[in-house]
Amino acid sequence: MSTIDLKTLSRRSFLALSGAGLAAASFPQDLFAQSGRNILIIASTQDIPNYDPHTATGYSASFFLRNTYEPLVRVAGNPPEPVPGLAESWEVSEDGKTYTFALNPAAVFHDGSPVTAEDVVFSYQRALRLARGNSWMIRGIVEPEGVTAVDAHTVRFDLATPFAAFLQVIPWIFIASKAIAEANEGGDDSTTYLQANVAGSGPFKLRRAEAGALYQLQRADTAWQTGGGNLDGVIWQIVRESSTQRLMLQRGEVHISVDLTSEDMDALDGAPGVVRVIEPEYRTFSIKMNTEHGPMADINMRKAVAYAMNYQAMRDASGYAELMTGPLPNGILGHNPDLEVYRTDLDRAREHLAMTDTPEGGITLRMVHVNGLEQQRRWALIMLDSLQALNIQLDITPMNWPDMVAACQSPETFPDLFPVYQTANYGDPDNIAYAAYHSSRNGGWQNAVYHNPEADALIEAGRTEIDPARRVEIYGQLQELLVADCPDIFGVLEKRRLGMRDAVQGFAFTPVASNAIEAWPLSL
Amino acid sequence: MLRFILRRILLILPVLIGMTIIMFVIARVLPGDPVGLAAGPNATRAEIEALAREFGLDQPLWVQYWTYLSGLVQGDFGTSLFSRRPVATDLAAYLPATLELVFSALLLAILVGIPAGLMAAVWRNKWPDYLSNILSVAAISMPRFFLGLLLQLCFAMWLMWLPLGGRFPIIFDPPPGVTGFYTIDSIIAGDWDSFWTALRYLALPAIAMSLSPLATILRMMRASTIEVMHQDYVTTARALGLSPRLIVFKYVLRNAISSSLTVIGLYFGWLLGGTVLVETVFDWPGIGLYATSAIVSQDFMPVVSVALVIGVLFVTANIVIDVLYGLINPKVRYQ
Repeated sequence: MSTIDLKTLSRRSFLALSGAGLAAASFPQDLFAQSGRNILIIASTQDIPNYDPHTATGYSASFFLRNTYEPLVRVAGNPPEPVPGLAESWEVSEDGKTYTFALNPAAVFHDGSPVTAEDVVFSYQRALRLARGNSWMIRGIVEPEGVTAVDAHTVRFDLATPFAAFLQVIPWIFIASKAIAEANEGGDDSTTYLQANVAGSGPFKLRRAEAGALYQLQRADTAWQTGGGNLDGVIWQIVRESSTQRLMLQRGEVHISVDLTSEDMDALDGAPGVVRVIEPEYRTFSIKMNTEHGPMADINMRKAVAYAMNYQAMRDASGYAELMTGPLPNGILGHNPDLEVYRTDLDRAREHLAMTDTPEGGITLRMVHVNGLEQQRRWALIMLDSLQALNIQLDITPMNWPDMVAACQSPETFPDLFPVYQTANYGDPDNIAYAAYHSSRNGGWQNAVYHNPEADALIEAGRTEIDPARRVEIYGQLQELLVADCPDIFGVLEKRRLGMRDAVQGFAFTPVASNAIEAWPLSL
Repeated sequence: MLRFILRRILLILPVLIGMTIIMFVIARVLPGDPVGLAAGPNATRAEIEALAREFGLDQPLWVQYWTYLSGLVQGDFGTSLFSRRPVATDLAAYLPATLELVFSALLLAILVGIPAGLMAAVWRNKWPDYLSNILSVAAISMPRFFLGLLLQLCFAMWLMWLPLGGRFPIIFDPPPGVTGFYTIDSIIAGDWDSFWTALRYLALPAIAMSLSPLATILRMMRASTIEVMHQDYVTTARALGLSPRLIVFKYVLRNAISSSLTVIGLYFGWLLGGTVLVETVFDWPGIGLYATSAIVSQDFMPVVSVALVIGVLFVTANIVIDVLYGLINPKVRYQ
């Protein structure tokens, strides 16, 4: 195995230094400075077991793919907007069903071959064929035959149905080299090859992968992207304890830490050389109720519980977070900040309880939470305390996540109360609305039981409508309907917590997948 | 002796087959929906069923077991439901790290525990004995993860002598892989700088792992040494005027060490199966973390395979200990 080409600090001299005890504990910034190379180190708890662009999921894989592959468009800004990626420009037909992308002729894969429309067609067809990873975002929207290469550098999408969020979802469909994938087809549609090799055109290429320890990317010599920072490489280092991440950040051993707790952020307040990024993101944390089976099937019981809940305690227990106003993330397109939502009101809770079959309470509800998720356990305790005012007992059951997923399969096995995080994969209300409230998701953990044809119709209208003003109207109606139906106790939006050394320059927060750091714009 | 070893090796087979059956059945009868989980939150029921078919999970249990066993004979440990990586590849990546840690911890425990136990017995009811008593009680009572955090705080944060975690400086390549043990690989490569660096990274997790077996070995060694020192042949040796040093090192040590060997064999398995906390604290990329995440997500193949590998290593370690008995104490006869 070769050593890294460090210009001014050889590996041997560095190790000798380390052996002498001068740098034994860490690799502080002054050593990086001496190395003459700008290598950004990101600490994360999550491994990257698979980096096939069309089957991998999770934020760690998103980090890897955003830096080694290129999608047609990227997403940037706050609120997030599509910006050029492989496509330098695009046109949308009036009916919102045809998108034509002009590829950047300078775009090349890491092997130097040009990125063509055929590669785009191949990648979308492969994603749909494999039906894994992020392909759910375009399922039913893009059909395999609907993607065509007009010429070498123009690709056209004829959508099966208009989809307002199309430009928000395609940043997550990455373009792989058709030639490389086909040369390594291996009888399994290249999945074995691509889960451990890169066939992309991103600004960085894979240099070293050590499962469970680190993934090192280095600036591709073929990098065609314009602008960008001065990074020579990036290391994604697996650090499983958030407190260790914090210590490493304080000592300058890592430049960015993406999994810090609220307590860690408090501890970092005023730490020299450390910048805290605490920004609202579209990640909801709510308590789902069993609208189909048991006492919570009665809408008055749901409303009684929703009014009894101690929202202030919920917020306080959530660290850096803000209470949600309704089912959609605050600040997203169509969100109504003036919506009248449930807040603690014991009189109204008792009024609704009086309209149920058990007006005096005296029942026991069951709430489950994921084993080991402290936040969910705290919420269960708050719920226990809140329900005592209604003479309702709460049976709290910690469960392993696979068991909880299994419990979501039918209303009979679904608990009365089920706290769940839902992360927006793209910055559009359709994401949360469809995943959390559309009846096609029933049986899954994001929306196990709730179904209402009226809500379905509004969600479908919202995703196919392309006029933003009309969409705001539709999502306004949806929010009112969902508040009236009360399928969830709308909880909090947890703020994204990133810790960063002040040496990191060029970082701009985007409230979608902000922990899957895009390294290209950054400098040290 | 050779017949004994061969017979023990043959006896491993039914143990291993029994173990795979038990693990296989337990992993599959547990409640939960690992396939639904692996398919992701946005998978349709048809996609979940397709994934189950792809992994053969729609087949009867005995068919699944037979497929697994057939693969195992050819070195195929199956594929992870979540990462879709061959389990054999993962084991090859994670196991050497854990073994290096366990062997180092055990070596440390032996190198310190046996002489210390001997000293405590020889100077029984004197200050070395009292000191070893206090230290061993403290060492055995201290949870490993807590000790790990204390060591980090002291040696990495305050004194800055040793690294916080990891196996090697991340901006440099580890030594060329031969055994997967960075210390040994760097010796093979003749790269002493890398060797010392790898050793510094190994120090804190190995110390955290070693203290509990060290304390046990120390106490066992002390007790058996005291017992042996009361044997008639030791009294005779004393009466003959042999020097105390000769008596202790030539006659007492060899007889007293047998009981510690049993503990060492048992501790090998205990350490191997219990590395997860230390691996978490020190970010040591080993099999403990791999197994834990597989267990939590009910990823069948890694769970069964890790149990199998630990079982094989444990049984092998016990055979080695049995052989060592014979070498150390000729009174032990193997039929």
